[in-house]
Amino acid sequence: MIFDKKKRKESAEEHGKCMLSRREFLMYSGASAGAASIMSITLFPGTAQAKQTKARVVGYPRMNIGKLSALKENEPVYFNYPDDGPNSQAILVKMDVPAGGGLGEKQDVVGFSLMCTHQGGPLIGQYKVVGEHRVLGQCPFHLSTFDMRRHGIIVSGQAYESLPQVLLELDGDDIYAVGIMGLLFGRTDNIIAMQEA
Amino acid sequence: MTTNFYIPEDHAPLPPANADVITTACDYCIVACGYKVYRWGLEQPNGGLGADENAFGVQFPTAPLQSWVAPAQHNVVMHQGKPHNIVIVPDKDAKAVNKTGDSSMRGGLLAQKLYNPSTGTRDRLTQPLVRIGGSLQPVPWDFALEIAAEVGRHVIDNHGANAYCVKTYSYQYIENTYAITKYALRHVNTANFSFHDTPSDVTSTPGFRDAGFDNFGPSYDDWGAADTLMICGTDPYETKTIIFTQFIMPAVQRGMKTVILNPRETAGIAWLKKQGGLHIDLNPGSDTLVVGAIIRIILENGWQDNEWIENWVNNKWESSSGFGQGTRNTPWQWRTTWGKFQTDGFEDYKKWNLAQKEYDPEYAAQMAGIDVDKLFLAAEMLAKPDGDKRPRASIGIEKGFYWSNNTGNTNAISALASVIGTGGREGRVIGRFGGHQRGGQSGGKLPRNKSPEKVPGRRRRAIDTDRYLYSGHTRMAHVIGTTWIQAMCGSQGLQKKFWELTTANPHQVYTYDKQEIIDTLKARADSGGMVVINQDIYLRDPIGAKFADIVFPAATWGEVDFMRANGERRLRLYQKFADAPGHAKPDWWIISQLAKRMGYDGFDWENSNDVAEEASRFSRGSRKDFNMIKVAAHAEGKTLHEKLREYGTDGIQGPVFYNYDTKKLVGTKRLHDTEMTSEELAEKGLSDGPQGANVLKKQLTAFNSQTGKVNLQKHPWGLFSDFYAWLQPREDELWFSNGRINEIWQSGFDDVERRAYVMQRWPENWVEIHPEDAKKRGIESGDQVMMYSDRVANFKDTILGVHGDDFQFTKLMENGHIKLDKAAVTAVAIVTESTKQGCLYANMIDMRQPSNALTTRVVDQISGNYNYKMGVANIKKLGESKYKHEFRAFSFAPRNIV
Repeated sequence: MIFDKKKRKESAEEHGKCMLSRREFLMYSGASAGAASIMSITLFPGTAQAKQTKARVVGYPRMNIGKLSALKENEPVYFNYPDDGPNSQAILVKMDVPAGGGLGEKQDVVGFSLMCTHQGGPLIGQYKVVGEHRVLGQCPFHLSTFDMRRHGIIVSGQAYESLPQVLLELDGDDIYAVGIMGLLFGRTDNIIAMQEA
Repeated sequence: MTTNFYIPEDHAPLPPANADVITTACDYCIVACGYKVYRWGLEQPNGGLGADENAFGVQFPTAPLQSWVAPAQHNVVMHQGKPHNIVIVPDKDAKAVNKTGDSSMRGGLLAQKLYNPSTGTRDRLTQPLVRIGGSLQPVPWDFALEIAAEVGRHVIDNHGANAYCVKTYSYQYIENTYAITKYALRHVNTANFSFHDTPSDVTSTPGFRDAGFDNFGPSYDDWGAADTLMICGTDPYETKTIIFTQFIMPAVQRGMKTVILNPRETAGIAWLKKQGGLHIDLNPGSDTLVVGAIIRIILENGWQDNEWIENWVNNKWESSSGFGQGTRNTPWQWRTTWGKFQTDGFEDYKKWNLAQKEYDPEYAAQMAGIDVDKLFLAAEMLAKPDGDKRPRASIGIEKGFYWSNNTGNTNAISALASVIGTGGREGRVIGRFGGHQRGGQSGGKLPRNKSPEKVPGRRRRAIDTDRYLYSGHTRMAHVIGTTWIQAMCGSQGLQKKFWELTTANPHQVYTYDKQEIIDTLKARADSGGMVVINQDIYLRDPIGAKFADIVFPAATWGEVDFMRANGERRLRLYQKFADAPGHAKPDWWIISQLAKRMGYDGFDWENSNDVAEEASRFSRGSRKDFNMIKVAAHAEGKTLHEKLREYGTDGIQGPVFYNYDTKKLVGTKRLHDTEMTSEELAEKGLSDGPQGANVLKKQLTAFNSQTGKVNLQKHPWGLFSDFYAWLQPREDELWFSNGRINEIWQSGFDDVERRAYVMQRWPENWVEIHPEDAKKRGIESGDQVMMYSDRVANFKDTILGVHGDDFQFTKLMENGHIKLDKAAVTAVAIVTESTKQGCLYANMIDMRQPSNALTTRVVDQISGNYNYKMGVANIKKLGESKYKHEFRAFSFAPRNIV
């Protein structure tokens, strides 16, 4: 099991369902950094163009992005994930309120992409604390705002998808990024190696 | 993905370089952004990351503002009977509207609209249905059409044309609306006819019409060209996104000021405020007072635009010439039997305004629940000259404004415009921002003289289809592309009446025999009951699912070539790129088949273009006159649709002129363009007046009145004040208003019902309530609440007005025409300061929890429109919704965080 093994406090039991398929995917795809293997697949099965090809199956890297004890409440830190390529900027923040996919004792540590899923606007510097709410936005391009307590769902705005959430794992005091829910702006797959396959 | 347990996709295919590229425009809001559809067979490889390997010609991963395909923008559809990939994205090459490929969330998700049985669209109607034994059962087209035609013919022949009601959308493409109105108005010739958003066939903005303003005169560029833009009853960011992000936002960043009338503070308004915008957060229904008071401040300070008034506002004699249809033969003169509207020009208006006690700023501010200083500030921003330079002000209105005291508000805002020189110049325009796109083309004229309802004086009034049905006069209801019931006011009472007339009638079909089915339905109509035909793309509840006897499956956007215009009169061809599901057919085809079987001629169209070409001559002289596109097309040996296709996503703005010398089609940027140069006229080929088949109307360079000048009219509060006083919240009641929200907008049948992401965001009806109001009632965000009222005023009778005040609310009450109904609607509470204290704001229509159940079914006594945005309700907590403690669906974060 690659998730925080501590007993999760999330009050909605159903929440687990949402994460389940991603966990399975992660387990299937292996959690070691940049793990890639070659397998044989049939492209266009059942058609005249059917052909055998070699495809690389790539897992998300497991990347150490900081220490839980070093995070200060509502002071975001930034990291790149899953690589240092284009559009990988992400935010890590301890929000002091529980959140979907949140890590830690209070279930309040979350990670998100910083590229707006509308047209790629930069959300850096747009972390806002309003009462019990935690949002990223308004995006400087077209004013989209995302709810960081609810898996990056749109609060108001024009984005076509929730803000991709970086899946986090806690190992002792170390925080690891281990996957992404949703597609990063500008990419066709989150792992560029996969795109090239 | 169809549940709200939504797991976002993390892959999207790129279209290959050789994918088919088809242009279209968005199906949803008025703005109508340009989109490109990329289509390639499933057997073809997808595009690659290299610039030469994909249809966008750019290297992936892409940078901000470059092309990208979100997973939700890909789908698989049938094309010519074979499955194809499609990717639908905003057109990065667009030079108009959504320049550089901007988009809203609604349009961004267009690909999900298409029929794909593995998605939420699987319940598209694919076959005609007839209700037998209580169930809607699939039957062949002929079977259903013959029943409908025979019963329809019987109803018309035995109960009169007015017993056959047609209730239809007004906007869903020119070909369809033309066919429907040709059938209903020219051939059936029923006066029992209305569009989706009003109970009667009447103008949405009576004040604009009487002043001489077209609803859609301005171009989108104009919304960013003023010094001060006044926005009434809407947040364009929420409901016409691209007007905001492409035109208003950049202008505000350059220094354009804004004045906003709205009880709510949504994302766009919050952003405007941050840039210095003035937000007048008035109580629902108090707009006339606020606007009247702003005008008074301008008049008292002498800030009116004297030069404009001198040249472009009618004086006494000019005003009396009306619309040029003969003495007194003008809409406002019909109404002004009692001298309530018409003025003798500016000085007369000024005298009137200053004499009205309710336009005293202190009184207006108190009634509106606002700080009086805001009225003075607004007057300064709109009209105070800086030296000899006047601010150029534009005014845009929408439903929150014109559906709250419809006549009063639209008259008042027209008066404000005329006083400050707004109306016919670049950066000084007035219009509607718009709701639906403009896809109406009338193929007939409402036979209003056949209406049994009459207002005092001489004039017949268009039938109120709700009251006419409620009175039991409608024997057959033909409902096309609207829910009818939830879309009207006081909807729960209306639904009960539908049930009485259909389901509760003893004549129900329980037979295999077609003739027996026909006889049963005829017997129902003859017994005083009602037969319902419904055309739609989905089975809607209750109109289709519970009440329809016959359901016809319609084809829609992307499945047939269609034409339509947007809010700046821009015409585009919305192309077919996928097969319609099953046996679904376009509405024009369904109408033509029915019409032929009922014995009407002139319905022998082969295809969509045939209908468009026939319709084009009826568009002559209108704001979206497209007849000359056909003329040019024929001169080039093309069809109308082929010619319009050449204009791609940029389209061409109506009215369209054909210059016979240059052989060029030339569109029109704005109507009422008083500054149009002789060069521009020459380009259109109008130097010596209209040539050949061109039609030139006064509206091109002047206003819609006999003189071409604006009528400055009064806006009497007294027509509305007794109703407003009656409606004021009592005891624990709060104002109840409702409207669209960005993520849902009008496309609810797609968005919240069939798109996993949007369903997750808005899984059910919601209501915003101010923290102070919530605290008193023990309500927190996420609580399930009941909104209820036992005073939903229901104007139930079709009446003949004799005395001057017979339609005044007080009189209707006295004479027993108003029944007080009960209504109850549940919702999930959102506690937020973004809604004004004392006001509730809910989704405009959730099919299961319809807000309009709580709004009063009393029409504006002058226009016949509903004031949908006005109601009162109590609210109490029922318990906690499941969204309160989970983190997946819904969001309770306020929309005004900036």
